[in-house]
Amino acid sequence: MFSFALKNIFFYKSRSITTFILTFVSTLFFIVYVAMMDGSHNSMLKNALKVYTGAIEIYKTGYRDIGGNEYFIENVDEIESKLSQIDGIKHFTSRYETYGILSTDRYSSAAMVTGINPLKEENMSQLKATLIEGEFLSETSKNCLYAGADLIKKIHLKVGDEVSFIGSASDNSFAADLFTLCGVFRTGSFEFDSSASFVSRSYFDELMYAQNKASYITIDVDDLEDVDSVRLSIKKQLSSELEVLTWKTLMKSMVEMMQVDSIFGYISMSLFFVVIFFVIMIFGFINVSSRVKEFGILRCIGLSRANVRALLLYEIFILSSLAIVLATPIGAAIAYYFSIHPIVIEGMSETYKEYGIVSDSVPLDFNIFTISWNVALIYSLNFLSVIYPISYINAFKPIEATRHV
Amino acid sequence: MIKIENVNKYFYKGEDRELHALKNINLSIEKGEYSIEKGEYSLLTGPSGCGKTTLLNVIGALDSFDSGKIYFEDRELGALSEDEKTTIRLNEIGFVFQAYNLVPVLNVEENIGFIMRLRGFPDSEIRERVKEVAAILEIDTKLRSLPSTLSGGQQQRVAVARAVAAKPKIILADEPTANLDSKNSKALMDMMRSLNVTENISIVFASHDKDVLESVDRVIKLNDGEIIES
Amino acid sequence: MYKLILKLAFDNAFLRLSRTMLVIIMIAVSMSMMLSIQGLYDGMTLSMIEKTKRSDSGEISIYAKGYRLSKTITNSIKNVSKIKKVLEAKPEIDALAIRIKADGLSATARKSSFSTMIGIDLKEEEHFGTFSEFLKEGEVTFSKRGVLLGSELAKTLKVKIGSKVIFSAQDSDGEINAMALKVRGIMQTSNISLDASAMYIDKKVLQEFLGIPKDAAMQIAIRTKSKTLENSLVAEYRTLEVKSFLSLYPIIKQMEDMMVIFNSITFFIVMLVVFIGIMGVMYVSILDRIREFGIMRSIGLSYKLIRLQIFLEALFLGLSGYIIGAILGYAALSYLKHVGLDLSAFADGMESYGMSKVIYGDIKLSYFTSTLLAIIGASLLSVLPPLRKIKTMNTIEVTKVET
Repeated sequence: MFSFALKNIFFYKSRSITTFILTFVSTLFFIVYVAMMDGSHNSMLKNALKVYTGAIEIYKTGYRDIGGNEYFIENVDEIESKLSQIDGIKHFTSRYETYGILSTDRYSSAAMVTGINPLKEENMSQLKATLIEGEFLSETSKNCLYAGADLIKKIHLKVGDEVSFIGSASDNSFAADLFTLCGVFRTGSFEFDSSASFVSRSYFDELMYAQNKASYITIDVDDLEDVDSVRLSIKKQLSSELEVLTWKTLMKSMVEMMQVDSIFGYISMSLFFVVIFFVIMIFGFINVSSRVKEFGILRCIGLSRANVRALLLYEIFILSSLAIVLATPIGAAIAYYFSIHPIVIEGMSETYKEYGIVSDSVPLDFNIFTISWNVALIYSLNFLSVIYPISYINAFKPIEATRHV
Repeated sequence: MIKIENVNKYFYKGEDRELHALKNINLSIEKGEYSIEKGEYSLLTGPSGCGKTTLLNVIGALDSFDSGKIYFEDRELGALSEDEKTTIRLNEIGFVFQAYNLVPVLNVEENIGFIMRLRGFPDSEIRERVKEVAAILEIDTKLRSLPSTLSGGQQQRVAVARAVAAKPKIILADEPTANLDSKNSKALMDMMRSLNVTENISIVFASHDKDVLESVDRVIKLNDGEIIES
Repeated sequence: MYKLILKLAFDNAFLRLSRTMLVIIMIAVSMSMMLSIQGLYDGMTLSMIEKTKRSDSGEISIYAKGYRLSKTITNSIKNVSKIKKVLEAKPEIDALAIRIKADGLSATARKSSFSTMIGIDLKEEEHFGTFSEFLKEGEVTFSKRGVLLGSELAKTLKVKIGSKVIFSAQDSDGEINAMALKVRGIMQTSNISLDASAMYIDKKVLQEFLGIPKDAAMQIAIRTKSKTLENSLVAEYRTLEVKSFLSLYPIIKQMEDMMVIFNSITFFIVMLVVFIGIMGVMYVSILDRIREFGIMRSIGLSYKLIRLQIFLEALFLGLSGYIIGAILGYAALSYLKHVGLDLSAFADGMESYGMSKVIYGDIKLSYFTSTLLAIIGASLLSVLPPLRKIKTMNTIEVTKVET
């Protein structure tokens, strides 16, 4: 029956070619489209993670919901020594985050001022890599301020200038100091660049009475896929008044937005698939209806309904397999190539900066599992499309079919 | 081999009138008529519309009937499922149609071997048998050709070869000569006769062709769906 | 004669019911899906545009030169009351909103965030963009040092109705001033930057707080239906910056463009399917009846009449699909328009990126008219290849075709 199906495919060329092309195009399109969608989501996440948010962060329960000075982590050294013994953690560092007002002679702006450990921060985030002017902080950089490009523009500050800071220390007392702008960074995220600034912890801790305290501890993991298991092993080591959160919770709104974006992507794709499905079905149906007589003869000389079903399934199996076998490696190759050499859309990050897009490049996502289910879906659609033609042809009595026009 | 008892088939059956396709057909010794026996070489004949093709289709488990019984070697056709009937057609009956009805995508060799292949004969046996039958029917030079490249006579011989190859118990041939000229008709009938003799296959024709009439052993005449002579 | 052709066409179109139904269902399903998706996307973009205009820019906004680059209180429009009088006299302007803005720090006892204080006149904003419709919680009032907060800002500050918020900012003398306010309402405009940072108080209160003259403002937003107003305002206020909605929100312009491109591609694909579907079915149907056409031609029916019959058949197919598709599509669209697509499960994400958690579709008459025209076109085009078959057939040969 297989070789018979093969012969039919070669004999009814136009139907075969149409089915082949449609399957080929839809497979290719689907693989690339999904790779692009997932890729842009992944890159958004990765960029966001790279810039500042950690894959895992540890907070004292209540800091995120209620906040305030009584919710700082108090025993940072002890926790850090525990963290250094857990597998799967690449780097970690603690940060002391506070909000205050930065003022120059004439201008002032609200800003987030964070005490960081410059050496550890180099490995953790892109803060050092995004330096555009001056220099990054060091352990000994004292009252040096490292600030976002858009923030210093707001208050008309230049490298070397002095800027006053007013905020409240960890004991709720009034804290004020004079910083010197030593370095400027630009991550590409407008919100971050227009509000964030950093001071070396060794200096800032004294000002804020924040020794051994932290707003949170941020952690980078070896493999982003293992983030949940690493979280569990951290949680086991720590007291219950600390909460350990992964990026999935920390960036809940971004993750949700991506899910919504995917939903819309799939809604659009579904129209495309319904259309392809119908066209393949129509061509299959037309082909079968022009062969009613032939099937009638075959049934007369002893082909059973099951044989007819097998024949048509073989035909679609061969055609769709051929198309998929050709399209999948091409689609996968495109996805793979562009996952390494991302597509660059000039000016994209400028337009979408409000959405946290910090880079002009969109790498595609190359994921064997995703490609497999894409292919499986197209396969199933192809098989679904012959159900009607099969039931149509098998509804004929053999003798009626031989008399069919 | 085949017994037919009081078979009726209607084109139309209402309260006021009925239109018979087949009317009280009997072909069984019990009813005083001869049944169709092994090695038989006979003809169903009669004017157009008399029911000969219908009867042939009913015997061949292709068409249904409304009352009566048909026994194919002790199996009652009316009681069989569609799949069981398909199995009988595949294993025990060969068909030859007026319009050749070859499978257009298969070449001559594949068309002849098609039924054997469906029945699961080994390849070597199929090849041998195809050659053998093709030689008898004088189409052994055309084995690689597609049906569309053959003449009508050749196509009909391929159809006969296909019916014969799997050694069915009976061949039912519906107007096999209708599309052939007299020379080709005669040649075909000669070949079928020799198959009937050498292979001991029963052959029943439905035809009103003189050439067929002259060559058969037994003639069953029908008119308006009734057997009027057998 | 034509009545007979019409009857022939109609009967033949529905002769092979299963295959006719297949094409009709195909057209109807893909068309209704296309309409739903288009309506949904249009609705989404439209609601974003509408809300952005209502909550912020209007169709046109006027700023002091340099304000958008450096948002300081010195970069303000000076003689607002005069400009207001001139603008109000223009019949093409439907509404005006004059706003004062100042960036600063908002803080509770425990949380702080950056925010933009916007001084507004509630009556004016209500007329400008039915401001009260943005209310998510509480009430729209500034009484007793009341303040209204953007929804995301309220989340960041973890405040509820009645909570106290301190706002500090630099005044016109360069001094840092602070004021204590009580949250009266939480506003959700679906405008990302407003929801994340806006605090609304009474314009006069903010004026006093900042110590700026009564005649100064940061933004004059204008609602208008006029297409030419922007150019005339640009010419009229050369010392100010007159900006259209789209130039203020290039991302929305880009989204709109992308929607148009996406919708056109979908439209094209669906019409291609209509074309292929009808062509396939008509082709088989004509081949099936080639003998019939041969006989008709040999008894003297002209090619023109046969062509007419076939055109009509294709039209019956296309139009039947269209009618069912339009009904289904309209049903789906009105569901989307009135009930909407509820994405509450992703509410946090949707809201922080400036979308409502329920997305409502849009229904435009043009969806149906353009689809109708395209389907008629596709139906007629699709029979050209099968027609060629009839034109080139040999009448005598085809009447002999084995049936």
